[in-house]
Amino acid sequence: MSAHAHTSDETAGDVTARPGAFVVGIHEIATTALAVVAIALLGHYADSAWIPAGIAAMLAFAAVHAFDRQTRLTVGAMGGLAALFVVKMWPTAHALAAGEPFVESPTVLSWLVALPLGGAVLMLFMPRQAHGLLKNLTLAIMGLTFAASLPLLSATMGAGYHFDQNVAWVPQFGIRYHVAIDGVSLWLVLLTTFSVPLATYVSYGSIKHRLKDWVFSLLLLEAGMIGAFISFDLFLFYVFWELMLVPMYVIIGVWGGQDRIRAAIKFFLYTMFGSVLMLAAILYMAYAYGQVAGVPSFDYFELQRLVLPRSTQVWLWAAFALSFLIKVPMWPFHTWLPDAHTEAPTAGSMILAAVMLKLGTYGYMRFCLGLFPEASIEWGINLAAVAVCGGILYAALCAWQQTDLKRLVAYSSVAHLGYVMLGTFSMTPSGLEGAVLQMVNHGMSTGALFLLVGVLYDRRHTRELADFGGIASKMPIYATMFVIATMASVGLPGTNGFIGEFMVITGTNASLRLGHFAGIQAIGAALGVVLGALYMLTAVQKVFLGPVTKKENEGLADMNSREIIGIAPMIAMIFVVGLAPNLLLQSISGATTRIIRDVNERIDASPPPEFHRGEPKLLNRRPEAPVLPVAPVGTGTPGAPVRAEIRG
Amino acid sequence: MPALESLFPRDEFGLLGLIIALPLLGAIVNGIWGRRLGRSAVSAMALTVMGLAFALSLVTVCHLHSLFTESLHGGGGAGHGERVRLAWTAWEWFHTTGGRSGANIPIDLKFSVDQLSGIMMLVITGIGFLIHLYSTAYMAEDASYARFFAYLNLFITAMLVLVLGDNLVVLFIGWEGVGLCSYLLIGFWFGKAENAAAGRKAFLANRIGDFGLLIGMFLLAQYTGALDWDGIARNAHLLLSPSPAARVHVWPVGGGIYQGMWAFLQPANVVTISGATAVSLALFLGCTGKSAQLPLYVWLPDAMAGPTPVSALIHAATMVTAGVYLVCRLSFVFVLSPFTMTVIAVVGALTALFAATIALVQNDVKKVLAYSTVSQLGFMFLGVGVGAFTAGFFHVFTHAFFKACLFLGAGSVIHSMHAHIHDDAASQDMRNMGGLRKYMPVTFATFAISTLAIIGTPFTSGFFSKDEILFKAFTNHVVHPMKDKFAQRGLGVWEQPTWVGPALYVVGVLAATMTAFYMCRALYLTFFGDFKGWAIGEPSAAKTHADHDHADHGHGHGGPAPAPHESPWQMTLPLVVLAFGALFGGWLNAAPLHIEPLGHWLDPVFAQAVSQGVQIVGGEEHAHHLVWPLAAGGVAAFAIGSAIAYWMYIASNGAPAKALAERNKKLHQLALEKWRVDEFYGVAVVGVAEATAETCAAIDHGIVDGLFAKATSSVVAAAGFVLRALHTGIFHAYSAAMVVGLAGFGWFFIAPHAEASVNQAGGSYAIHAAPGMGYSFRWDADGDGKFDSERFGPTRDLSVSVEPGKTKQVRLEVKNAFGLTGSTTITLGTEAKKGAAVVGLR
Repeated sequence: MSAHAHTSDETAGDVTARPGAFVVGIHEIATTALAVVAIALLGHYADSAWIPAGIAAMLAFAAVHAFDRQTRLTVGAMGGLAALFVVKMWPTAHALAAGEPFVESPTVLSWLVALPLGGAVLMLFMPRQAHGLLKNLTLAIMGLTFAASLPLLSATMGAGYHFDQNVAWVPQFGIRYHVAIDGVSLWLVLLTTFSVPLATYVSYGSIKHRLKDWVFSLLLLEAGMIGAFISFDLFLFYVFWELMLVPMYVIIGVWGGQDRIRAAIKFFLYTMFGSVLMLAAILYMAYAYGQVAGVPSFDYFELQRLVLPRSTQVWLWAAFALSFLIKVPMWPFHTWLPDAHTEAPTAGSMILAAVMLKLGTYGYMRFCLGLFPEASIEWGINLAAVAVCGGILYAALCAWQQTDLKRLVAYSSVAHLGYVMLGTFSMTPSGLEGAVLQMVNHGMSTGALFLLVGVLYDRRHTRELADFGGIASKMPIYATMFVIATMASVGLPGTNGFIGEFMVITGTNASLRLGHFAGIQAIGAALGVVLGALYMLTAVQKVFLGPVTKKENEGLADMNSREIIGIAPMIAMIFVVGLAPNLLLQSISGATTRIIRDVNERIDASPPPEFHRGEPKLLNRRPEAPVLPVAPVGTGTPGAPVRAEIRG
Repeated sequence: MPALESLFPRDEFGLLGLIIALPLLGAIVNGIWGRRLGRSAVSAMALTVMGLAFALSLVTVCHLHSLFTESLHGGGGAGHGERVRLAWTAWEWFHTTGGRSGANIPIDLKFSVDQLSGIMMLVITGIGFLIHLYSTAYMAEDASYARFFAYLNLFITAMLVLVLGDNLVVLFIGWEGVGLCSYLLIGFWFGKAENAAAGRKAFLANRIGDFGLLIGMFLLAQYTGALDWDGIARNAHLLLSPSPAARVHVWPVGGGIYQGMWAFLQPANVVTISGATAVSLALFLGCTGKSAQLPLYVWLPDAMAGPTPVSALIHAATMVTAGVYLVCRLSFVFVLSPFTMTVIAVVGALTALFAATIALVQNDVKKVLAYSTVSQLGFMFLGVGVGAFTAGFFHVFTHAFFKACLFLGAGSVIHSMHAHIHDDAASQDMRNMGGLRKYMPVTFATFAISTLAIIGTPFTSGFFSKDEILFKAFTNHVVHPMKDKFAQRGLGVWEQPTWVGPALYVVGVLAATMTAFYMCRALYLTFFGDFKGWAIGEPSAAKTHADHDHADHGHGHGGPAPAPHESPWQMTLPLVVLAFGALFGGWLNAAPLHIEPLGHWLDPVFAQAVSQGVQIVGGEEHAHHLVWPLAAGGVAAFAIGSAIAYWMYIASNGAPAKALAERNKKLHQLALEKWRVDEFYGVAVVGVAEATAETCAAIDHGIVDGLFAKATSSVVAAAGFVLRALHTGIFHAYSAAMVVGLAGFGWFFIAPHAEASVNQAGGSYAIHAAPGMGYSFRWDADGDGKFDSERFGPTRDLSVSVEPGKTKQVRLEVKNAFGLTGSTTITLGTEAKKGAAVVGLR
């Protein structure tokens, strides 16, 4: 290992013995954060966002002058990005007036994929031994990706799709490179670009071998996840969907715990099982479209026009839904998750929880609701019951019984995603908005929890609750962070968790789609809030409170600089979203309203259970769909089949 | 105050933001930088923000008062003032869906203060300040000094958010926020496992209550389409909509119908309750959690594990009264359901009695006070439950003074006991105290005054507030506000039986008698008689304070030690102030004497509720004559209770108490063990939940992960097993299979396939025959049964037009290379009815 690789974690680890000295503490972080926010707010009055960002970066760099260069650079970069984020989030009228009218760049989304993907390729040509180079370059690429994703905030989302880029890829099969975002995927993309660098940065403290492969996997994973969120061509979506599977498989299988191989295979088989069915369904969709329109298409907006009879639609819906529900995961497909989380390295768990699971919920919202509205509504009622009983209540009870802290958090993920799915099934504005918000929230709070569990695991190489007890007195900062993340997880008002859960619960109760079960399902979801407190506080009590009973825990070191820097942004976001959720909601609500309206229009055209009978047909393109580079084919009118297939 | 008004208009009263932000600032500064700042800076910070917050609250309430007086004298007031309200919107928080048409309900981070919350705000910041001051001395030796004040300041913030929130969701921030602070402060000394367990228990019991509050919120959103106070008040009548669809269907759940195999579940009459009952019961569940009522009271006595100032501030004066505040705040919702009101009153009365029975025998001074708090909260709910909102709330106010004073007094005693008895339990045990009035005169005097107040000594604050509740319990009757309207439609309503009022009165008097007994008992055991803690004298040189064992059992060390000392001024000053309030606070609402400034002040807040649903049995005039006769009951309770205590513990020096306990040993033991309710819950609630959870975990491990997953994988394995058997490696088998396969293909190619696809455009159809090797075609396009040409030709495509409303049959025959022919008939045409094209194939 080169001398360069001796980065701040070792340095910080050495000096933790001297109390109070040379560990970036909450004090420095808080002071720096205050200064950065102040500068960013002042920066409202500057014409360019880069000036306050630059000043904030330099200030943050200077504020931690006592530390080594690596730490200072990281803190500086984070300060700059934070300032940029604040400026983008809260643009003043002055700044808006002063700046030129915002023009959506069609290539910005491609850059978000190209940067990590290109970075991954670049890593292949880097020397395996140069750890410092690999680490810093990876972080720089990821930071750049995050910075590149910030301009997305400047667009007014509304109900439409933005940053649309649509290029022919394999024209003869109707496959196009079509990327765009709307109010739903915007936040998921930002969540990805936000949490992957943090996970990566934190992981440098514990990943010591095969570093080149590690950073390669992470970059590839990031590219895959972002790609899946922005794809509006089903073929392209499937490519990214599978692309992200492989690095995660490697991450669990190579850097995981004791039983990593089994967990990795289980993870791969479960998700793959769903994926291949989805592939079949995608191909059938393209074929069916081709039958009606003459040429096949994988384009989301074109396939959205396709109305299939009940018999076909339900099966296609089932294939898509199975794939997504395994990913979410929903009962009874959830058992891969605790295994995968438990065995995955900390960064793997963080990314898995923060982003990957969201692909399931996002996929359901985008593709199942968008392409098969009738089938989604018909089955959504039953699935809502599964989300409540199997997700929110059952998983919470299971979590309570876990003795392994990481398994407990993993089961809590299942419970939290139960809320997301319930909100989605409810088909009310508040339910759907709450679901999207809850996706982001879960990324923050559960990501933070996995990071924190990793901190403990790095020190003691165990996660059994019984091996701890009373460590709050040994690790006060750690305990504080854990309690904050816990409170976000149990949905304390003022933190992000509350907003999502509350919106989902009220949305569920107000739902007409769920029929007369809406009320009881809302009550079930509310009961989950009690259970959430039960298992999380039990864990907190067993790990942190009471006397220190184990001798091994006497000398535990508190969080080091790296870990604190890694978790600080997530903790900050927990409160930002909790106190100002409108920042997110105002761009989410347009898209969710559109989703509901699209579904309702389809349902109202032929009310269930008598939804569309007869041959497949094409409707008009949805009004919000981006303008096609070529004219759409088969301008059929609703209600009249354009072309009929003969069977005989 | 025109200057203030011009600076802060009524709807943008930013001062409220400042009042909330100040303690929050203190919490953040002390929480993050506290350890670096040092103790004096921490206490300066905490006290400054609290003092400022109190001063600003005072300014606000004065301003409110001037507005109130204006409305009193202004036009249309007719002697009664209006509800005056100052509001401030911080920002738009989020929104949700509700109402009948699924409308958007904006939820703003909005705060407002009116007469009711103004008083609460004064109590919180005022008593909060005193307790902060007290804590600077009480916690002086504690290692986590800054953390303590950060939590305490955070608590004040949350409590202010709770009372100032302008909608139910903002209230909920405070509601859960105080729960969090309570959790953190109960477990403040988390090094001891039982403290941590007590904290968790408190949080979970509160969460069960919050579950109710959540349900109440979404039901309110559904029925009234609003969550802010004004919006709920405006639409509250919708909660009583008599139409069956607008009621909450309890059974069958949600209003479905059980059919088929579930038909036996379908009841003859569906069970429904009004929206008002559902909402108010759910909200009241929240109140029982936060305000420690039956059945969720169990956390409060355990919560005394926290530092004593916390017990005084959170678990006596402020947080636990939040439930009463909520009922007062939403009084116009609660009165819509006489059933819920009766439930509240009965639960309150039973809690008052039940907790008092436990308090009779406890030896731990804080436990006595804790159960006393539960009991007094029961009185408050009794008051609001009978529609006497002013009386109930007035008891919140007076209770804040005397109970805070009692707790702080107990803290002062424990502080001095703790100097030599380091075991927590022993230092709080009244059997180790006695005779302290000599050593701690100020503490004694204030404690005694507060005791007099709580037991209802005539003309102290407790007398006025408690007697008012008992009086109203007897005379008030809650009626259904829309009884007549419902009757017109032939719908029955639940009515409160007339015996409820007198019964509540009797239970209340009984509980008051017990209160008098146990409080006097606590006073006598602590301050009278001889000191039993340790031998008083000069400490021997060998046993200095520093070197004795801190984990000492009960009675400290054997040797003599200096006498217990009076506490420093930071602790005694708050005691004096609070005792003053306890003694004279009652005159704010001395109803029997017709001195009711507080009553008039609060009247506009409760006007809507009281006018709707509260009647006075026998009329106002009749009730007026009952004031003093009914007050006699309260006075008798005071006299009897304290006399018995005097006889038992002073006159006979505790002998009768011991004899009584000896005689009823089992009963005494049961009461001492709090009727073993905790154990019962442990089995009935926690045990059941745990068993369910274990079952779930077992199912997850055994069935979902075991059976399901294994079954799937074994299907794959089985398929592999079967397919493996085919791959024998025997060449003969392979070639035999190949022959069969080739034969199949051959048959397919030899058989003719007459197939065609049809495209419609308007009335014309394009028919396209499927091609094949060596195929030739002939058509019958006009449908006359004869082929257009006898010869088979290469024409694969055919265009046919069909007139609207008619059908046509087209025949296709194909001949393949082997000379075999096959044919098919295609029916084309439109169905006149639907106007849509029908394409058939025969």
